[in-house]
Amino acid sequence: MTELPPLTPQLVLAATALVVFGIDTLSPDDDTNTLLAGVATTGTLLSAGIAAWFLSAGTGDFSFVQFDGALVVDALSLFFAFVVGTVATLVVVASHDYLADQEHVAEFYSLTLLAATGMSLMASANSLVTVFISLELASIPSYVLVSYLKTNRGSVEAGLKYFLVGALSSAIMVYGISLIYAATGVMGLAPIAETFGNGVEFVGVLGLGIVMLVAGFAFKTASVPFHFWAPEAYEGAPAPVSAFISSASKAAGFAVLFRVFTTAFPLEVIAGSVVDWSLLFAALAVVTMTLGNFAAATQENVKRMLAYSSVGHAGYVLIGLAALQSGGGAENSFVLGASMMHLLVYGFMNTGAFLFVALAEYWGVGRTFEDYNGLAERAPVACVAMTVFMFSLAGLPVGGGFLSKYVLFAGAVQSGFAWLAAVAAINSALSLFYYSRVVKAIWIEDPSDDLALTGQPTGLYVAVLAAAVGTVALLVAFDPVAQTANHAADVLFQL
Amino acid sequence: MVPMEYYLLLSAAVFCIGVFGVLTRRSALMFLMSVELMLNAAGINLVAFSWFHGNLSGQAFTLFVMALAAAEVAVGLGIILTLYRNFDDIDVTNATTMRW
Repeated sequence: MTELPPLTPQLVLAATALVVFGIDTLSPDDDTNTLLAGVATTGTLLSAGIAAWFLSAGTGDFSFVQFDGALVVDALSLFFAFVVGTVATLVVVASHDYLADQEHVAEFYSLTLLAATGMSLMASANSLVTVFISLELASIPSYVLVSYLKTNRGSVEAGLKYFLVGALSSAIMVYGISLIYAATGVMGLAPIAETFGNGVEFVGVLGLGIVMLVAGFAFKTASVPFHFWAPEAYEGAPAPVSAFISSASKAAGFAVLFRVFTTAFPLEVIAGSVVDWSLLFAALAVVTMTLGNFAAATQENVKRMLAYSSVGHAGYVLIGLAALQSGGGAENSFVLGASMMHLLVYGFMNTGAFLFVALAEYWGVGRTFEDYNGLAERAPVACVAMTVFMFSLAGLPVGGGFLSKYVLFAGAVQSGFAWLAAVAAINSALSLFYYSRVVKAIWIEDPSDDLALTGQPTGLYVAVLAAAVGTVALLVAFDPVAQTANHAADVLFQL
Repeated sequence: MVPMEYYLLLSAAVFCIGVFGVLTRRSALMFLMSVELMLNAAGINLVAFSWFHGNLSGQAFTLFVMALAAAEVAVGLGIILTLYRNFDDIDVTNATTMRW
């Protein structure tokens, strides 16, 4: 019996991207939107399915080192390959309707698939070289996707700002990598940790390198201080692309952040002598969640509110790194596992929320809260789904967001970071204010008279409902997810 | 033999020129060139310390960085072209249809 290579989820995504290109090359003039969407959906579903199968079959119990240590397949990478695959599936299904009148559809699908490949590889990256290359493979197609509507000024402006901040942060990151290489002489994550065995040399150069490395990850996860592209890029981009970048790209950024900092820079060695990065992440977490939530509360535009809420959620997830402590053992893997759970749940509820915005854009409804007034009278099913997303994002027990937030805050308390959990809980309470504004607009306010919804966006509906079902299902069946995430964190910490 | 500190100083200087350019120039093309300087500053470090540590991974990575920089510029120029078509200018401070 032949065995599948451990990197099958990533290989499937890359192969599907090439197949989509191939189909477009063979019949460039035909209307192949449906065929291409079908092929792309098959690829992303297959990738997510294989990742889930590998996880349940126990492939992730050990680290499968690939390519001389450049890539690794373990429970963490499979977990995030599943998250990326699921989000990409929802986005591709929703894009089918969104792209109906557009040109260059094949490029859209294949760039989405290539970006998904990069995100999936980020979770497997096990050397600073592959970290940087997979991060760029995820970023460069994303720049194009954001500015996809090239005659729309908002989309072009969003793409420009995303590109400018992205290019700057990746330049800072690669300079950081060069400083870490200068101090240690190796690129692999595990070999870097090994060089600290004989005492840390070049402390200043190494410390500066680590801090600059954070810049690249802060960009990818939309955390302070590299968050300011996010509201602009999410607002201007086509809504399915906003969904993709804010969910999958953020999850992948956190995956690589978790692996780099726990594997290459163990807190036991680094915190005392070079830089206490858990303190750095604690500060970033507090600033990120406070800024994200307060800015979200002042927005009039739903998409922009969701963008700032996405910054706020990056702050919650950063708790997973901030609450790590040297020699923490089980507490460490509990809180890191909680962050991973939140990213999975977030993948469903946030993607769903942005896809609802895509639905509203498809109908030609405006973008502000007032424009959403009374939508529930015209489209009750989609509005039930949106209500689930909003309350789940706020942390009310209608979706998995309640449990993942609860576990995350409990993990912070358990690790002795009660103040961090308190700040997060206050922020979470504030977030209920602006999430419920959407719910109030769609259910309670009266619609304006000329509000008529035309078209049969089947794909968009399917994607929104699937995301809603996923969000609710994660509330009911949270246990297996929690166990998988904690197990992945255990494997990462080699417990 | 040139002391390693000199390489670090040179690369830091090139990097800082790049950062200065990013912060002060309004033209998107100047921005691209400044980012290129920052990437090449990292390249100087990588090649110098590859020789210092006696392994080739730094030099190999520099080749990857150059290829990725080219890919990034290709996409960047495309975006700047659409910027010019929509706003009749490549001043990055002009594109302000969205405000918070």
